[in-house]
Parts: sequence; structure tokens; C-alpha cells
Amino acid sequence: MQEHSFNADMLIVGGGVAGLNAALSAAEKGASVIIMDKAVIERSGHTAGGIDHFGAFLNTGPEWDTRDAYLTYTVNSSRGATRPEVVERVYCDNLERAIVRFEKIGVPLHRPDGSYYRTRSYGQPGPWWINFNGKRLKPSLAAAVRKAGCTVLDRVVTADLLVTDGRVCGAVGFHIRSGEFYVVSAKAVTVATGGTNRLFTNPTGLSFNTWMCPANTGDGEAISFRAGAALANIEFLRMTVVPSGFAAPGLNALVGMGAKLINGLGEEFMSRYHPEGMNSPRYKLVEAVITELKARRGPVYMDCRHLDSEALNHLVTTLSYDKDTFGDFLAQKGIDLRNDLLEVAPSEGMQGGPNEVCGSGIRIDENCAATLPGLFAAGNCSDQNRSLHMAVTSGIHAGVGAIAFAENNGAAPRPSRTQVTDIRDRIFAVMKGGGQTSWKAFEDSLQRIITESLGPTRSAWSFKLASERLDRLAGWIDTVSCPTFHDLCRFQELYNIMTVARCMLAAASYRTESRFDLCHNRTDFPNQDDENWLGQVNVRKGDDGGPECRFVSVTYPEQEGGA
Amino acid sequence: MPPMIDREICNACGICEDSCPLDVIYMDSATQDPVIRYPDECWHCGSCRQDCPLGAIRIVFPLQMMVPAGILPY
Repeated sequence: MQEHSFNADMLIVGGGVAGLNAALSAAEKGASVIIMDKAVIERSGHTAGGIDHFGAFLNTGPEWDTRDAYLTYTVNSSRGATRPEVVERVYCDNLERAIVRFEKIGVPLHRPDGSYYRTRSYGQPGPWWINFNGKRLKPSLAAAVRKAGCTVLDRVVTADLLVTDGRVCGAVGFHIRSGEFYVVSAKAVTVATGGTNRLFTNPTGLSFNTWMCPANTGDGEAISFRAGAALANIEFLRMTVVPSGFAAPGLNALVGMGAKLINGLGEEFMSRYHPEGMNSPRYKLVEAVITELKARRGPVYMDCRHLDSEALNHLVTTLSYDKDTFGDFLAQKGIDLRNDLLEVAPSEGMQGGPNEVCGSGIRIDENCAATLPGLFAAGNCSDQNRSLHMAVTSGIHAGVGAIAFAENNGAAPRPSRTQVTDIRDRIFAVMKGGGQTSWKAFEDSLQRIITESLGPTRSAWSFKLASERLDRLAGWIDTVSCPTFHDLCRFQELYNIMTVARCMLAAASYRTESRFDLCHNRTDFPNQDDENWLGQVNVRKGDDGGPECRFVSVTYPEQEGGA
Repeated sequence: MPPMIDREICNACGICEDSCPLDVIYMDSATQDPVIRYPDECWHCGSCRQDCPLGAIRIVFPLQMMVPAGILPY
């Protein structure tokens, strides 16, 4: 197979919103940048088809609209998972720059008259969500990146990072259609690959019918872990409420515009579960829906019929910004939100932080640096970032941080030829043929194991069972056969999902308490234990190659509040 | 089996192939027509439809999404 070699100041793994913002920041400073993405960056990652909201405090006067209010909410809603000093440097300090960048690329957050349309949800103290038309966010960002002179390697999936003398110095990948092999050396590497989907069984049986992009398969977390970097908040389960059958985003828009959940008996039930009712945290909404369904009071519906026509029109429009095909789904089901109830259900699970302001993944510091020299992380794959607003700000910040590292630390060490060959052999082993297992069968088994053990109820028993089964599943890797490079890409994704699954299992097993309700709900340790667990579980590769856990406590400025 | 491409309207420009974030759409090397090679891997994101300059693409949801069952898999 043909091999291509590249060299740059910074390599970016993943050309979504976070990665492309990192690229622009670095290119503005005159650095040479290479981006590797599994798809074509104009339409890749979670915002490929569009997005409709950006979280921001705007200092317009009220107390809820300030940096302090944002940080207080973040601490109170994410105690034990957030590190406010990182959020302040990464998000708060870069917020203005982020809003300006939207303007610069031609996708402004404001309306034509300059005002913002803002909505409130999930227990936030005020309407922080700016609604905007982000359908062309990715094409516009991609155009800016290409214009800035960045080298874009489209349809190249990153297989592993290269590490020499303890410093990350590049990565290798392959083209998902031709199989051509890429070796990139760089002074710094920024990983921005989103969260981990296709980790849990999909309720519809369609694995790619996921809330977040099904191409986001924990690649960044997995390659960083295998290279030796620490992951954090990786134990937490993330779920949402979706239209029954269609894992579309949109809960935020629905709740933000005043839609109500009702059960099969016609009862509004949220106030039974949380004092803030429909303005409760997302995981509370999910938990309530699950409980209603299990109590046989389903189906559960989203009711929009009481909204006035202006609110309804805005809602329908913004839902189509968030998921372009939302309207088609409703039309094909014969549902008109003005007159009909929309049946909803819990989504599939994924790996993710507890809420919209706290992430899960590669542990970063206030410069977006991972725990391994030369490695930076941005967006949903990093432990402190979540949602579009933090994808943009952390992208901007990681780009600046990575280039500063490159300038201060000089030329990267040469990648080791042995390491390149080892990774290459590992990747292409399943192309030899003769194996009886398809990646699809492998994925199905993996998802069943994880869904049984790491879902909304967990225990030491479920972890032990899953651990044994994952070991047995690993024994089947040699039997997988990939007839095309497209299939090989899917298998590489599964290899990464499996790495994340093992880390999630180790961290969930290690944290002997419950926290953030269904995000980490242990039947054997049902209570939150702030005395021992107010902080993060860090997961790092141990001597045997498996995950090793360590608890790192976090001190918070004030002790009141809670999720 | 989304997306569905209307061959009467499509001029085989190839834009949809690049728009798909999941590598589902391929331009057939023999006929030069777009082919939905991996329908099960569609995310229904609508990127291909948005980018089609001729409006030749429709999104049609499959049975499992129209008539969902087993909504609590755990």
C-alpha cells in the first residue's frame, strides 16, 4: 500500500467545529496546519447537517447573564466532574472571540436586526441559548480553513498517535476508500473527534440512528489513551429524550420553547421528579421518561399544542436547523406539532459528561493540553468541554495552546519506524481475509455487553460480567474480516469504541458511589458520597496495557447547591 | 432507505458523495451515477439534500423508525 508522509507545526485529528476552529487559530498565527478527517470537512462531524443553538452569557445587565453566574451554575450542576479554573480559561476567556468568529465566517449568531433570540432550559438561571441558523456552519468554517492555507486530508481516519521519548509527535492513518497509508509528523497534535456513539444498542435496531453523529466513535479518546494520556469523567452515561424512532437532537429547542412532557394518562409528570419541572437537568427528564414507561404509564409524549403560533413557528424552524430532516420525519409520520402529540422515548446511551456545560474524555488543563507532552484536546472529546459553545471556544484555545507549545519546544522528535510498522500491521491484519465475523456482528455483540452493564442502572455484578465478556469478545478480533477499506474504517471505529468501553467500565467500577442520577447510578452504592468522591476518576494505560484508575479530588469555592 | 435520488433530475455532479459524513454515497465508476452503497449507515442528517443543487434528493425514513418498538432496551 502506498505511503504518504507529511510534516507540519500542528496536526489536527478531526475536522469538526472544534478542530476547524483550532486550525483557524493556528493558521492566524502563521503556523502550518494539517487536518485529518474521516469524511470531507465541509460536512463532517456532529454539526454536518446543521445546529441551532450556542450557549453564552452576554453581560446584558441581569445577574444570570454574567461570567460569575455561568461558573456558579457549572459548579453547582457538575460538582465532581467540572474544574472551574479550566472552564474559566477555556470557555469564558474565549467567548467573545468565538462570537466574533461566527460573524467572520458569515454565520452570525444574531438576527438581521442585531438582536439575539435566546431560550432557557435544563435548570439554567436564564436564557443562555442563542438560537441561530447553523445549517451552513460547517461549509462556512471549512471554506475559511481552506482559504487560510491549511492542508486538509479528507477521508483519512487516524489509527493511532505517534509517541517518541514521551512526546506526541504525529499520527498515522489510512484513506477510507483507497487504503493509502498516511504518516504525519507534527510539533503538536490537537485531537478533536467528538464523543463516543455506537457504544450502546440503538432502540430501533439501527446502529447509525444516533442522537450525535455516528461517525464520532471515541477515536480521539481511544488513540490518546493508547498513547498514554489520561481520560476523565469517562464513567458517565449520556442520554437524551428523542422522538420515538428517530434519534434527532431537539430536546433543548422543545423544552426551551415551552413544550411539556405528558404520559399516556395525559398527566404532566415532571414536577413529580424535579422541583423545576420541565426546566430540570436533561438527565432528570430522561430518568422521568424511563420511570413513566417502566410504570406502564406510557407512551410518553411531547405536547406543543398550547404554544402560540409565533412560538410554534420558531420551534419548527429551529428544530430543522438542529436536524435538517426533523420536518420530514414529522410529515412522514403525519404529525403536526400544532395539533398532534409527538411520542418521545429515551435515546440510546453514549459516553459523555453529565450536562451541557461539562464534558467527558481526554483530561485537559487550562491550556487544553492533555497529560502527555505535545498533545492537546478540544470539543466533546475533552473532559471539560461539551456543546457547540465549548467546541468553538476550546477549539480556538487549543489551537493557540498547541502552537505556543510548538514554538517553545521546537522540532518534534522523529517518529519511530518500528511504531509506524507495528500500527500498520495491526490495522491491516483484518484485511487478510478468511475471517468469518463481520464488523457488524462484532459491533452488535459489543453494544449488547455495554448496554447491559453500563446503562442507567449499574453495579459491581454488571461490571464483572461485562469485563469477562469483553475479554471473550477481544478474542474474536482475529476472526473479523473486512472486504473493503470502508469496512476497515468501521472496524477501526469499533476498535476505538472497545478501548473507550474498557475505560468506561474501569472508571464506573472504580467510583463506588452514584452521581448525576442515571449518568452513574449504582444499585450497590446508591448514594452520592462527596466525602470520598468529590473529584474526577482519571484513567490511564497501565503496565499491562489495560486501564488503571486514580482519583483526583477537586476543591470547589463554595459547598452549597448540587445537581 | 434514505436518501432517495431522483435519477430523472440528478445530473450526476457528485456533490452528494462529498457531502455525506458517513461515506454512504458513492459515484459508481461505471455508470457515473450516485449509489446509496451503505443505506444502513445513513444518519438522516440531510447534508446531501441540502447540498444537491437540483433538489433531486428526498429523505425517506425506514420502517424501523416509522414504527418503533422496544424503546427500553435495558
